[in-house]
Amino acid sequence: MKSIITLFCICFCLTTANSQDRYFTKSGSINFFSKAPLEDITADNNQVLSIIDASTAKMAISILMKSFLFDKALMQEHFNENYVESDKYPKATFKGEILDFKALSENPKDFKVKGVLNIHGVSKDIVVIASMKKINNSITANGNFIINLEDFDVEIPAVVAKNIAKNIKVTFNFKHTPFKK
Amino acid sequence: MKFKKIVLPLILLSVGIAIVAYNVYNKPHIDVVDAKADVVVTANNLFTEFSTDEAKANAEYLDKIIQVKGFIQKLSIENGIGIVTLKTEDDFGSVQCNLSTEAKNDFNLLKENELVTIKGICTGYLMDVVLVKSEIVN
Repeated sequence: MKSIITLFCICFCLTTANSQDRYFTKSGSINFFSKAPLEDITADNNQVLSIIDASTAKMAISILMKSFLFDKALMQEHFNENYVESDKYPKATFKGEILDFKALSENPKDFKVKGVLNIHGVSKDIVVIASMKKINNSITANGNFIINLEDFDVEIPAVVAKNIAKNIKVTFNFKHTPFKK
Repeated sequence: MKFKKIVLPLILLSVGIAIVAYNVYNKPHIDVVDAKADVVVTANNLFTEFSTDEAKANAEYLDKIIQVKGFIQKLSIENGIGIVTLKTEDDFGSVQCNLSTEAKNDFNLLKENELVTIKGICTGYLMDVVLVKSEIVN
Protein backbone atom coordinates (compact mmCIF):
# COMPACT_ATOMS: atom_id res chain seq x y z
CA MET A 1 0.00 0.00 0.00
CA LYS A 2 2.77 2.39 1.01
CA SER A 3 4.56 1.87 -2.26
CA ILE A 4 1.43 2.82 -4.15
CA ILE A 5 1.12 6.01 -2.11
CA THR A 6 4.77 6.80 -2.74
CA LEU A 7 4.32 6.24 -6.42
CA PHE A 8 1.35 8.56 -6.46
CA CYS A 9 3.41 11.17 -4.64
CA ILE A 10 6.18 10.85 -7.21
CA CYS A 11 3.71 11.04 -10.08
CA PHE A 12 2.12 14.03 -8.40
CA CYS A 13 5.48 15.77 -8.09
CA LEU A 14 6.16 15.00 -11.73
CA THR A 15 2.91 16.40 -13.02
CA THR A 16 2.73 19.51 -10.88
CA ALA A 17 6.28 20.79 -10.99
CA ASN A 18 7.53 22.97 -13.76
CA SER A 19 9.39 20.83 -16.27
CA GLN A 20 12.46 23.06 -16.26
CA ASP A 21 12.96 22.73 -12.54
CA ARG A 22 12.94 18.99 -12.25
CA TYR A 23 16.10 16.93 -12.29
CA PHE A 24 16.15 13.19 -12.11
CA THR A 25 18.10 10.00 -12.59
CA LYS A 26 16.95 6.45 -13.12
CA SER A 27 20.39 4.98 -12.65
CA GLY A 28 21.67 6.39 -9.41
CA SER A 29 23.86 4.07 -7.40
CA ILE A 30 23.63 3.02 -3.79
CA ASN A 31 26.05 0.68 -2.07
CA PHE A 32 25.86 -0.73 1.39
CA PHE A 33 28.64 -2.15 3.44
CA SER A 34 28.47 -4.28 6.54
CA LYS A 35 31.67 -4.83 8.47
CA ALA A 36 31.49 -7.70 10.93
CA PRO A 37 34.14 -9.84 12.65
CA LEU A 38 33.59 -12.85 10.37
CA GLU A 39 32.97 -11.26 7.00
CA ASP A 40 32.45 -8.03 5.12
CA ILE A 41 29.32 -7.87 3.03
CA THR A 42 28.72 -5.37 0.29
CA ALA A 43 25.94 -4.93 -2.25
CA ASP A 44 25.33 -2.53 -5.12
CA ASN A 45 22.19 -1.11 -6.64
CA ASN A 46 22.61 0.89 -9.84
CA GLN A 47 18.95 1.46 -10.59
CA VAL A 48 17.96 4.06 -8.06
CA LEU A 49 15.31 6.57 -9.06
CA SER A 50 15.94 10.00 -7.61
CA ILE A 51 14.12 13.24 -8.34
CA ILE A 52 14.98 16.78 -7.26
CA ASP A 53 12.54 19.62 -7.72
CA ALA A 54 14.77 22.67 -7.88
CA SER A 55 11.90 25.13 -7.35
CA THR A 56 10.85 23.63 -4.01
CA ALA A 57 14.15 21.92 -3.03
CA LYS A 58 12.24 18.68 -2.50
CA MET A 59 13.92 15.37 -3.10
CA ALA A 60 12.33 11.97 -3.63
CA ILE A 61 14.19 8.67 -3.95
CA SER A 62 12.82 5.24 -4.68
CA ILE A 63 14.76 1.98 -4.54
CA LEU A 64 13.93 -1.59 -5.49
CA MET A 65 15.32 -3.89 -2.81
CA LYS A 66 15.68 -6.76 -5.27
CA SER A 67 18.05 -4.66 -7.38
CA PHE A 68 20.77 -4.98 -4.73
CA LEU A 69 23.33 -7.38 -6.14
CA PHE A 70 25.65 -9.33 -3.85
CA ASP A 71 28.85 -11.28 -4.44
CA LYS A 72 27.31 -14.46 -3.17
CA ALA A 73 23.91 -15.75 -4.24
CA LEU A 74 23.23 -17.03 -0.73
CA MET A 75 23.73 -13.57 0.81
CA GLN A 76 21.35 -12.07 -1.73
CA GLU A 77 18.76 -14.73 -0.97
CA HIS A 78 18.99 -14.19 2.80
CA PHE A 79 18.87 -10.43 2.35
CA ASN A 80 15.68 -10.60 0.28
CA GLU A 81 13.89 -13.42 2.05
CA ASN A 82 14.86 -13.07 5.70
CA TYR A 83 16.05 -9.56 6.41
CA VAL A 84 14.31 -6.95 4.27
CA GLU A 85 11.49 -9.30 3.15
CA SER A 86 11.46 -7.79 -0.31
CA ASP A 87 8.36 -9.68 -1.43
CA LYS A 88 6.39 -7.88 1.27
CA TYR A 89 8.31 -4.61 1.10
CA PRO A 90 9.72 -4.37 -2.45
CA LYS A 91 10.80 -0.72 -2.15
CA ALA A 92 12.69 1.60 0.09
CA THR A 93 11.88 5.27 -0.25
CA PHE A 94 13.17 8.62 0.91
CA LYS A 95 11.24 11.83 0.76
CA GLY A 96 12.61 15.07 2.02
CA GLU A 97 13.90 18.54 1.53
CA ILE A 98 17.34 19.90 0.76
CA LEU A 99 18.07 22.68 3.25
CA ASP A 100 19.63 25.91 2.03
CA PHE A 101 19.33 24.63 -1.55
CA LYS A 102 19.87 28.12 -3.01
CA ALA A 103 23.56 27.83 -2.19
CA LEU A 104 23.97 25.18 -4.90
CA SER A 105 26.79 26.06 -7.28
CA GLU A 106 29.56 24.61 -9.39
CA ASN A 107 31.68 24.07 -6.32
CA PRO A 108 30.80 20.99 -4.28
CA LYS A 109 29.26 21.94 -0.98
CA ASP A 110 27.75 19.92 1.86
CA PHE A 111 23.99 20.18 2.18
CA LYS A 112 21.71 18.84 4.84
CA VAL A 113 18.90 16.73 3.43
CA LYS A 114 16.13 16.22 5.94
CA GLY A 115 13.33 13.76 5.43
CA VAL A 116 11.74 10.40 6.03
CA LEU A 117 13.44 7.16 5.13
CA ASN A 118 11.26 4.09 4.73
CA ILE A 119 12.86 0.65 4.68
CA HIS A 120 11.18 -2.67 5.49
CA GLY A 121 7.87 -0.88 6.03
CA VAL A 122 9.28 1.28 8.84
CA SER A 123 9.55 5.07 8.51
CA LYS A 124 12.19 7.07 10.30
CA ASP A 125 13.19 10.74 10.24
CA ILE A 126 16.77 11.24 9.19
CA VAL A 127 19.15 14.02 8.24
CA VAL A 128 21.81 13.12 5.70
CA ILE A 129 24.76 15.21 4.63
CA ALA A 130 25.17 15.19 0.88
CA SER A 131 27.88 16.85 -1.14
CA MET A 132 26.14 18.49 -4.07
CA LYS A 133 27.11 20.54 -7.07
CA LYS A 134 25.56 21.75 -10.29
CA ILE A 135 27.64 21.59 -13.44
CA ASN A 136 26.43 21.87 -17.03
CA ASN A 137 22.81 21.58 -16.04
CA SER A 138 23.29 18.39 -14.06
CA ILE A 139 23.04 18.11 -10.29
CA THR A 140 25.22 15.53 -8.60
CA ALA A 141 24.77 14.38 -5.03
CA ASN A 142 26.94 11.97 -3.13
CA GLY A 143 27.81 11.01 0.39
CA ASN A 144 27.26 8.34 2.96
CA PHE A 145 25.43 7.69 6.20
CA ILE A 146 24.90 4.94 8.74
CA ILE A 147 21.67 3.14 9.37
CA ASN A 148 20.89 0.94 12.33
CA LEU A 149 19.12 -2.29 11.43
CA GLU A 150 17.10 -2.34 14.66
CA ASP A 151 15.56 1.01 13.77
CA PHE A 152 13.95 -0.65 10.79
CA ASP A 153 12.90 -3.85 12.56
CA VAL A 154 15.40 -5.94 10.62
CA GLU A 155 16.15 -8.92 12.84
CA ILE A 156 19.46 -10.71 12.59
CA PRO A 157 19.39 -14.23 14.06
CA ALA A 158 21.97 -14.92 16.78
CA VAL A 159 23.63 -17.58 14.60
CA VAL A 160 24.83 -15.02 12.07
CA ALA A 161 25.28 -12.12 14.49
CA LYS A 162 29.03 -12.28 13.93
CA ASN A 163 28.57 -12.14 10.14
CA ILE A 164 26.39 -9.08 9.88
CA ALA A 165 26.98 -5.65 11.39
CA LYS A 166 24.22 -3.88 13.29
CA ASN A 167 25.14 -0.61 11.69
CA ILE A 168 25.29 -0.51 7.94
CA LYS A 169 27.16 2.10 5.95
CA VAL A 170 25.18 3.34 2.97
CA THR A 171 26.98 5.21 0.19
CA PHE A 172 25.10 7.02 -2.54
CA ASN A 173 26.00 8.67 -5.80
CA PHE A 174 23.39 10.32 -8.02
CA LYS A 175 23.77 12.37 -11.16
CA HIS A 176 20.52 14.14 -11.95
CA THR A 177 19.80 15.51 -15.39
CA PRO A 178 16.91 17.76 -16.48
CA PHE A 179 13.66 15.94 -16.87
CA LYS A 180 12.25 15.96 -20.36
CA LYS A 181 9.63 14.00 -22.13
CA MET B 1 39.21 -50.91 16.99
CA LYS B 2 37.52 -47.97 18.61
CA PHE B 3 39.15 -45.70 16.05
CA LYS B 4 37.65 -47.56 13.10
CA LYS B 5 34.17 -47.81 14.56
CA ILE B 6 33.65 -44.37 16.03
CA VAL B 7 36.29 -41.81 15.21
CA LEU B 8 36.67 -42.56 11.52
CA PRO B 9 32.94 -42.26 10.68
CA LEU B 10 32.82 -39.05 12.69
CA ILE B 11 35.71 -37.56 10.71
CA LEU B 12 34.13 -38.57 7.41
CA LEU B 13 30.79 -37.15 8.49
CA SER B 14 32.24 -33.80 9.52
CA VAL B 15 34.23 -33.56 6.29
CA GLY B 16 30.99 -34.29 4.40
CA ILE B 17 29.11 -31.61 6.29
CA ALA B 18 31.92 -29.13 5.71
CA ILE B 19 31.84 -29.78 1.96
CA VAL B 20 28.06 -29.37 1.80
CA ALA B 21 28.19 -26.19 3.89
CA TYR B 22 30.94 -24.76 1.71
CA ASN B 23 28.94 -25.45 -1.43
CA VAL B 24 25.77 -23.91 0.00
CA TYR B 25 27.74 -20.83 1.09
CA ASN B 26 29.27 -20.46 -2.36
CA LYS B 27 26.11 -21.31 -4.24
CA PRO B 28 26.39 -19.71 -7.68
CA HIS B 29 24.06 -17.02 -8.97
CA ILE B 30 21.44 -17.98 -11.52
CA ASP B 31 23.11 -18.17 -14.89
CA VAL B 32 20.91 -15.98 -17.06
CA VAL B 33 22.79 -16.91 -20.25
CA ASP B 34 21.96 -20.60 -20.08
CA ALA B 35 18.69 -20.43 -18.18
CA LYS B 36 15.48 -20.70 -20.12
CA ALA B 37 13.27 -17.61 -19.87
CA ASP B 38 10.24 -18.02 -17.61
CA VAL B 39 8.23 -15.47 -19.56
CA VAL B 40 8.50 -14.10 -23.10
CA VAL B 41 6.89 -10.68 -23.56
CA THR B 42 7.15 -7.41 -25.50
CA ALA B 43 8.46 -4.30 -23.74
CA ASN B 44 5.16 -2.54 -24.18
CA ASN B 45 3.02 -5.35 -22.74
CA LEU B 46 5.37 -5.78 -19.79
CA PHE B 47 5.23 -2.09 -18.98
CA THR B 48 1.44 -1.92 -19.36
CA GLU B 49 0.96 -4.80 -16.95
CA PHE B 50 3.09 -3.07 -14.32
CA SER B 51 1.51 0.35 -14.79
CA THR B 52 -2.07 -0.96 -14.59
CA ASP B 53 -1.69 -3.31 -11.62
CA GLU B 54 1.71 -3.25 -9.97
CA ALA B 55 0.90 -5.74 -7.20
CA LYS B 56 -0.38 -8.33 -9.64
CA ALA B 57 2.57 -7.85 -11.98
CA ASN B 58 4.98 -8.10 -9.03
CA ALA B 59 3.50 -11.45 -8.09
CA GLU B 60 3.79 -12.62 -11.66
CA TYR B 61 7.21 -11.34 -12.70
CA LEU B 62 9.50 -10.62 -9.73
CA ASP B 63 12.66 -12.73 -9.58
CA LYS B 64 11.71 -14.43 -12.85
CA ILE B 65 13.86 -14.51 -15.95
CA ILE B 66 12.03 -12.38 -18.47
CA GLN B 67 12.75 -12.33 -22.18
CA VAL B 68 11.64 -8.96 -23.47
CA LYS B 69 11.55 -7.64 -27.02
CA GLY B 70 11.47 -3.97 -27.94
CA PHE B 71 13.01 -1.03 -29.75
CA ILE B 72 16.03 0.62 -28.16
CA GLN B 73 15.22 4.09 -26.90
CA LYS B 74 18.53 4.84 -25.26
CA LEU B 75 21.93 3.29 -24.64
CA SER B 76 24.12 4.44 -21.80
CA ILE B 77 26.91 3.34 -19.51
CA GLU B 78 26.79 4.19 -15.79
CA ASN B 79 29.43 2.98 -13.35
CA GLY B 80 30.77 0.66 -16.01
CA ILE B 81 27.44 -1.07 -16.51
CA GLY B 82 25.66 -0.97 -19.86
CA ILE B 83 22.03 0.12 -19.67
CA VAL B 84 19.57 -0.54 -22.49
CA THR B 85 16.29 1.37 -22.31
CA LEU B 86 13.45 -0.13 -24.33
CA LYS B 87 10.65 1.99 -25.76
CA THR B 88 7.02 1.63 -24.76
CA GLU B 89 3.94 3.49 -25.94
CA ASP B 90 3.90 5.38 -22.65
CA ASP B 91 5.55 8.83 -22.64
CA PHE B 92 7.50 8.39 -19.43
CA GLY B 93 7.80 4.69 -18.83
CA SER B 94 10.17 2.23 -20.38
CA VAL B 95 11.85 -1.06 -19.65
CA GLN B 96 15.30 -0.47 -18.20
CA CYS B 97 17.72 -3.36 -18.60
CA ASN B 98 21.01 -3.25 -16.69
CA LEU B 99 23.36 -5.61 -18.48
CA SER B 100 25.69 -8.05 -16.82
CA THR B 101 29.39 -7.23 -16.92
CA GLU B 102 29.93 -10.08 -19.41
CA ALA B 103 27.47 -8.56 -21.90
CA LYS B 104 29.83 -5.63 -22.54
CA ASN B 105 30.94 -6.79 -26.00
CA ASP B 106 27.39 -7.32 -27.21
CA PHE B 107 26.50 -3.88 -25.89
CA ASN B 108 28.92 -2.18 -28.27
CA LEU B 109 27.13 -3.72 -31.25
CA LEU B 110 23.76 -2.21 -30.36
CA LYS B 111 22.29 0.87 -32.02
CA GLU B 112 19.42 3.10 -31.02
CA ASN B 113 16.01 2.40 -32.61
CA GLU B 114 17.01 -1.17 -33.35
CA LEU B 115 14.79 -4.07 -32.39
CA VAL B 116 16.44 -6.16 -29.69
CA THR B 117 15.61 -9.14 -27.47
CA ILE B 118 16.99 -9.08 -23.95
CA LYS B 119 16.82 -11.63 -21.17
CA GLY B 120 17.13 -10.56 -17.54
CA ILE B 121 15.84 -10.91 -13.99
CA CYS B 122 12.93 -8.62 -13.18
CA THR B 123 13.32 -6.72 -9.90
CA GLY B 124 10.27 -4.45 -10.01
CA TYR B 125 8.76 -1.18 -11.15
CA LEU B 126 9.72 2.41 -10.31
CA MET B 127 9.11 4.74 -13.25
CA ASP B 128 10.25 1.92 -15.47
CA VAL B 129 10.16 -1.81 -15.27
CA VAL B 130 13.65 -2.78 -14.13
CA LEU B 131 15.69 -5.84 -15.15
CA VAL B 132 19.12 -6.77 -13.75
CA LYS B 133 21.89 -9.10 -14.98
CA SER B 134 20.52 -8.81 -18.47
CA GLU B 135 21.96 -10.58 -21.50
CA ILE B 136 21.38 -9.73 -25.13
CA VAL B 137 19.68 -12.59 -26.94
CA ASN B 138 19.76 -11.00 -30.39
